[in-house]
Amino acid sequence: MSTAERQAELALPSVAERRRKKRSGFADNWWRHLVALIGVVIALFPVAYIVSAAFNGDNSLSGSSLIPRQLTLDNFRSLFGTQRHTTGHATFQNAHYLSWFGNSMIVAGGTALLTVLLSALAAYAFSRFRFRGRRMGMLTLLLIQMFPQLLAVVAIYLIVLNTGDVFRFIGLNTLPALIIVYLGGAMGVNTWLMKGFFDTIPSELDESARVDGATPAQVFWGVVLPLAAPVLAVIALISFISTLNEFVIASVILETQQKFTLPVGLWQFIDQKYSEHWGPFAAGVLIAAIPAALLFAFLQRYIVEGLTQGAVKG
Amino acid sequence: MSAGTRALSLPTRLISAFSGTVGLVIKIVLLSLVNAFAIWAAVVLSDHHKWRALGLLAFVTAAIDAIYLTRRWTLPLKFLIPGTIFLLAFQVIPVAYTINVAFTNYSTGHILSRSEAIANIEQNSLTEAGNGASYAMTLMRSDKHQLVLALLDNSGHAFIGTPDGLRPIPRDQVTIAGGTIASAQGYTPLKGTELGSIDTELSSYKVPVGGGKAIEPQGFDSAVVLEPTYRFDARKDAFVRVKDGVLFKDNGRGSFVAANGAEIEPGWKTYVGMRNFGRIIHSPLIRSPFLKVFLWTMVFATSVVFLSFALGLLLAITLNKPGLSFQRTYRALLIIPYAVPAFLALLVWQGLLNDDFGVVNRAFHTSIPWLFDPNWARVSVILVSVWLTVPYFFLVSLGALQSIPSELIEAAEVDGGGAWQVFRKITLPLLLVAVAPLMIASFAFNFNNFNNIYLLTGGGPALNNSPVAGATDILISYTYKIAFAAGKGQDYGLASAIAILIFITVGTISAISFSRTKALENLA
Repeated sequence: MSTAERQAELALPSVAERRRKKRSGFADNWWRHLVALIGVVIALFPVAYIVSAAFNGDNSLSGSSLIPRQLTLDNFRSLFGTQRHTTGHATFQNAHYLSWFGNSMIVAGGTALLTVLLSALAAYAFSRFRFRGRRMGMLTLLLIQMFPQLLAVVAIYLIVLNTGDVFRFIGLNTLPALIIVYLGGAMGVNTWLMKGFFDTIPSELDESARVDGATPAQVFWGVVLPLAAPVLAVIALISFISTLNEFVIASVILETQQKFTLPVGLWQFIDQKYSEHWGPFAAGVLIAAIPAALLFAFLQRYIVEGLTQGAVKG
Repeated sequence: MSAGTRALSLPTRLISAFSGTVGLVIKIVLLSLVNAFAIWAAVVLSDHHKWRALGLLAFVTAAIDAIYLTRRWTLPLKFLIPGTIFLLAFQVIPVAYTINVAFTNYSTGHILSRSEAIANIEQNSLTEAGNGASYAMTLMRSDKHQLVLALLDNSGHAFIGTPDGLRPIPRDQVTIAGGTIASAQGYTPLKGTELGSIDTELSSYKVPVGGGKAIEPQGFDSAVVLEPTYRFDARKDAFVRVKDGVLFKDNGRGSFVAANGAEIEPGWKTYVGMRNFGRIIHSPLIRSPFLKVFLWTMVFATSVVFLSFALGLLLAITLNKPGLSFQRTYRALLIIPYAVPAFLALLVWQGLLNDDFGVVNRAFHTSIPWLFDPNWARVSVILVSVWLTVPYFFLVSLGALQSIPSELIEAAEVDGGGAWQVFRKITLPLLLVAVAPLMIASFAFNFNNFNNIYLLTGGGPALNNSPVAGATDILISYTYKIAFAAGKGQDYGLASAIAILIFITVGTISAISFSRTKALENLA
């Protein structure tokens, strides 16, 4: 995700801050409703279609329609394997959807948490300490980040390949390998955003804690992090979603169906058995969209509250 | 400071939890874990004889210990080290490696090192000798269980062939039956079932017989003498074609080439200076698709940003009316495309735009080849990207609109400005102050928006005059294909060179963007 999108997330509160005035009549505003409705229809059209296709009895692409002909959960059943009573991997013989989903959650969740930790530590150093190389360090972070990690994928592949010869658990086709590769991009923009937020936390708070005998580590964990909770949540969500979306590196490092993440798995799934698997695919998309959408909905409220409350304003 | 005092109450409690002994214990435990892991890793590494990696591990571990056990001056490092380790391993080193590769000819046919390539050519150039010498062969195992070839030539001489060479054996030590050696002293012939398990061993089995020649098994019961068509002349540092003595010299770019331009495969990986960059400019096979792709990348990124901004702003202006009913509902619904992970939306759109069964064509009763005609595919890619990006500019514009003081607008209206005039002269300029940097950032993002292209069209449909570039390929997907496209030859050197060009382009754009924001001023 770009810097711009991250900043948009932070821009949300001003939307909520607006004042409600007296409602105007429909006569003056009909065009506003018209434009908004057209926008909503276009925005929701694919979403509505996927929801419908997921519950539609006819699971082919050509048989899909906006209103399902017959409601059924068959698509979800076939996604999770038709024989529901068998145990183990035999259940998921059609596709390894559950594995993909689980893998994506592990990788995106793990990356998000560790990204927040690593970039918060670095941002704290950049925000609170004055040391030689500080300015250079931040500019270097920015510069390195502009080189798309995607284009260095040959080198990343070779590093993981060679590491795997010695340490199997972080070799090719493992989830930990993917997580630590993503952590290479943990600093950079995230550190910049967090440093900006940390700078707004008054340093008097640190200083009074230091006077009370707290060490810098205690100030970090005890004072700065709790106050920075909103920005930590935003960074975690952004990191979660961009990791969830990542396709190239995952497709290079992960090799077998059981280890795929959702983008790699679903891409192969639809590439190979496109028209006849539209129904199960739609069901899969629906489930895959839930975690990110929930987090997004949750974040919106959290950010608005977090930023509008007095705590961080000093 | 009243808010600050209130905020302190929780932190002070947390501080006491982390203070003194507890904090020290946590630190010691974490540091011990790091060291324990390092020791385990060191043992594994030494088992694998990875001495350089072991040295690096020892250095890094010692540095970590030193930094966390020293009291004062390493303070910033204590916070910077964890992220920096990952940054170095998976960002800095890969980028450095990629830059290095951009100055080499690393590609299909130029993967090996020079000495490996020479050995490879010598091996591959073996062909059946002109005199057609062949042997009847029996596979046997020696006392030490080593696989050997028991060979009988046309004039009835018996030999034992091993990877070390050919050794004659006296007639009285062998029995011959049916034109092959049935048994030999000190060796056990292989039985039927055993033959199946030695396939791979046999396929690379060679018995050197001097002069670069070798005896190679053909199936399970005969062997032929092979001689090299090329011979490496170490003194001239060149290959000699045996039949006519033509010299193939090192051309300095990783290949042995004859005076008439003929080349021996494979070549090797070597530094070629700026040659990859030169190819982008001079080679017509690369220049023409590169320019097309570059142009399309600009068109794609520009139109996505401007269309998205225009539509987002339109929606924002529409909804920026105090007291408008359903305002919250509209806003919540309009940003839904933003809340759905993009890869899902892209895969879904691929289905919706399918020309035969796709919903879009059926809804409008059209049969537009959305993804299979070059121009329609370009339109589709832009439309879908706009669909994904509008909610972002809608949110940004709405926020920016609401931060414009209403007094300004009212004053302009009092002065007799029409709605359009007020928008042009007051609202838009103020809005752009906030949104322009974001537009530049969005441009940089879409310039490298691999997923939007690759998950929708795969860069296709193919253009008939280029084997690699498709109609909708942007630079980054084009580069990805150059590096990884199976079957068309992979050219990491060229891909890395283009990667550097992308880096420079995006870097310049971002530098302009940043010089216009105040982000850098906070660094003082």
